[in-house]
Amino acid sequence: MSGAQQPAGAALEWRDVTIGYRRGDGGELVAVDGVSLSVPRGGTVGLAGESGCGKSTMAMSVLRLLPRSARITGSILVGGEDVATMSWGRLRAVRWTEAAIVFQGAMHSLNPVRTVRRQIREALELHSSPATRTPAQRDARVAELLALVDLPAARAEAYPHELSGGQKQRVMIAMALACDPEVIIADEPTTALDVVVQAQVLDVLSGLVRDRGLTLVMISHDLSVLAAVCERIVVMRHGRIVEEGPSEQILGSPRHEHTRELAAAFPVIGDPGSRRVVGRAAVTRLRARESGAPEEDGGPAAGVPAAPDGAAATHAEDTATPLLEVRDLVVDFRSRGQHVRAVDHVSLRCRAGEIVALVGQSGSGKTTLARTVLGLQRPTSGQVLHRGVPLPTARAALKAYRRAVQFVLQDPSASLNPKHTVYEAVAEGLRIHRLPGDERERVAAALTQAELTPPEQFFARIPQELSGGQRQRVVIAGALALEPSFLVADEPVASLDASVRGEILALLLRLQRELGLGALVITHDLGLAWNIADRVVVMHQGRLVEDGPVEQVLLDPQHDYTRTLLDVVPSRLGARL
Amino acid sequence: MGSAPRSGRAAVAAQRRARAAEVWREFAATRSGLVGLVLLAAVFAVALLAPVLVPLETLDVTRLTAASNEPPSAAHLLGTDPSGRDVLGMLVWGARVSLLVGFAATAVSMVIGTLVGMAAGHFTGLTQAVIMRVVDFFLVVPSLVLAIVLSSVLSRGLWTIVIAIGVTSWASTARVVRSQTLSIEARPYIERARALGGGDGHILGRHVLPAVLPLVLANTTLTVGSAVIAESTLSFLGLGDPTQFSWGSMLKSALDTGAATAGFWWFVLPPGLAIVVVVLCFTLVGRALESVLNPTLRGR
Repeated sequence: MSGAQQPAGAALEWRDVTIGYRRGDGGELVAVDGVSLSVPRGGTVGLAGESGCGKSTMAMSVLRLLPRSARITGSILVGGEDVATMSWGRLRAVRWTEAAIVFQGAMHSLNPVRTVRRQIREALELHSSPATRTPAQRDARVAELLALVDLPAARAEAYPHELSGGQKQRVMIAMALACDPEVIIADEPTTALDVVVQAQVLDVLSGLVRDRGLTLVMISHDLSVLAAVCERIVVMRHGRIVEEGPSEQILGSPRHEHTRELAAAFPVIGDPGSRRVVGRAAVTRLRARESGAPEEDGGPAAGVPAAPDGAAATHAEDTATPLLEVRDLVVDFRSRGQHVRAVDHVSLRCRAGEIVALVGQSGSGKTTLARTVLGLQRPTSGQVLHRGVPLPTARAALKAYRRAVQFVLQDPSASLNPKHTVYEAVAEGLRIHRLPGDERERVAAALTQAELTPPEQFFARIPQELSGGQRQRVVIAGALALEPSFLVADEPVASLDASVRGEILALLLRLQRELGLGALVITHDLGLAWNIADRVVVMHQGRLVEDGPVEQVLLDPQHDYTRTLLDVVPSRLGARL
Repeated sequence: MGSAPRSGRAAVAAQRRARAAEVWREFAATRSGLVGLVLLAAVFAVALLAPVLVPLETLDVTRLTAASNEPPSAAHLLGTDPSGRDVLGMLVWGARVSLLVGFAATAVSMVIGTLVGMAAGHFTGLTQAVIMRVVDFFLVVPSLVLAIVLSSVLSRGLWTIVIAIGVTSWASTARVVRSQTLSIEARPYIERARALGGGDGHILGRHVLPAVLPLVLANTTLTVGSAVIAESTLSFLGLGDPTQFSWGSMLKSALDTGAATAGFWWFVLPPGLAIVVVVLCFTLVGRALESVLNPTLRGR
């Protein structure tokens, strides 16, 4: 498509662009550092990179939407015209009619007190064209736009809170399309969406690109999402482009170290190279494959864990009394007089030293199940058993159990008290349980186990001074300090950057190998299950629909829902489209 | 314990010092707050030095030399009262009572308000329902009326007034603390503390209390002002300690002796103005503190 109608000149071009932000102390933070990039008409380019690599700054610079503190050198051309020299009126015309942005975080980018119709019409009113002079014409256009993104016209009367996340994102896309722009810039359009919804949104986007010959610049930290929609991928790091090329090449045989890291974070399910190998080991693997070395050459040095066999042996022994057992569990919530059944007759067994991945969409009840297992939520009926003993209902009696089964939360920034130092955060559990022995030694040991070394350096730090990955390590150290026999981790890496994701998962694998620590890992990401789990449990609308070893469930799914989930894994989307 | 807790604590202490310095810098940047603070410091100094500045004997009715209701003069800067006592001297001694009652009553009110508010926010179900109804009761009953009843039922004295004011003015604090508690308890680190095995006491003491304290502190300075007014009101109504000088009781005697209607302004205006100035200062300081501790209020 793009090749057929590609006139000379690029739709969008950055020429040696450097963008810096003035800081409070007079210094400058360089967000984009001498980047040149050209997007041909009808082309689709994906910008990949971790948070802070400058990809959003680049996108915003196209429409001069950067804050006043930004200083831009070099030139940014939209349809051959330099944005910096445009008059204010011309810029307004270019915004939305020639280039439009689908903003990050659809949840917060819509006005909550206006209907969808009014918000889409706003753009039409500001950029009135002969086709949208009268209100009736505008309403017709709104219906047309909603149809483009597969939303029924009746949804125009809805307020944002009445829409699901995916619907909101589609409304954002409809708004971007309102004035028939040639260039669409989508800034993380699917982050915070569920995998199934993500697939729908990506479908809509790539359909539009195909049918209308749009030029698309898409930003994401997820290479496989970009590969599903874009022809070319540009990988950025520290404000520079580190690698650029066709999608298949970037995903299949990345050359730059950083691209490898990003690629390793989103494994191809079924690829033995990424099974139980994460983080640096996976990067080594990828590099080895590239240079043509045999697959099996990894060896223990490359991070191939020896655990599976050993663990399997111990599993066989203690199948009689699993470490944790959930028997016919039901959890109901009452909201506005309505009963909602979050967990619907679930039975589950977790053996010691086993990593079980609990997979499901948002709203499938997986977090509720985890909270009930931890004794944070009271079940409506059914039982949770620890070493064959039912969980006591009194809170005081739960204390001993809580020492044995620990919790790692989704967002490490929020799960640490911002006022407490790392030492206090890790020692918190020790003090609650009044564990004997030297507190300092125990804290240091826990931090070392969580790979925060040397531990003394971290004692006095507060969470604000740590990176996301380090914070999650502190949370894990706090759990390890109590010497638990099992971890429950709720989306432990969902809010972390790709390279950090690998490190944290590698840590979980190492803890399993060295301490025999089992885990129930809740995730929406089947790739993560493929990465680290021994067993996968698939949850759908409060019920467990499939349960079995990873290879069996992910490579030969029996239930329809599991197949749906597997179909929408981004790494497979590319193949499907 | 080894040196780690100490080094950890030292780090925390250093951090708190840095934070306190920052709070002070921002506070000093709001001019109205600074003016209030300086005036308050002056009032404090005068109140503390009262026995030195104005020896109590000079106010002894049996040893007085001045005539009654003397207008302001060099000997008596603010004139004398109907018994011939120096008004300025009474004003200085009155500051002691006003400030003492103001602070003591506020302390009582803050302790009750913080504890009840945290409990109402932390516990759910029946406990919370009962606590909140009690809070509502104290919120809707006119606190002055309740204080009058209390101070007339209890034996007369300074501490009766303190208790009467403290017990009747905590309800709004409890409301504010409760809402802050609810917002803190929704944070994931509370969930983590629970999963670590922490009980109610641990969560309230280690996580919630430190988080609500800044709010309580800002509330305190605002409450002191209203406690000073309440004290004056109660004294004016004759419910105070008759053996002590207080701004309220000065106003009462001005009214009782007809000084107010006879045009002896030097006995009526000073205590009234003193009350206004002190309350205003506390409000200025409280507002400045509030905007420092709650950045979203800045620029309003």
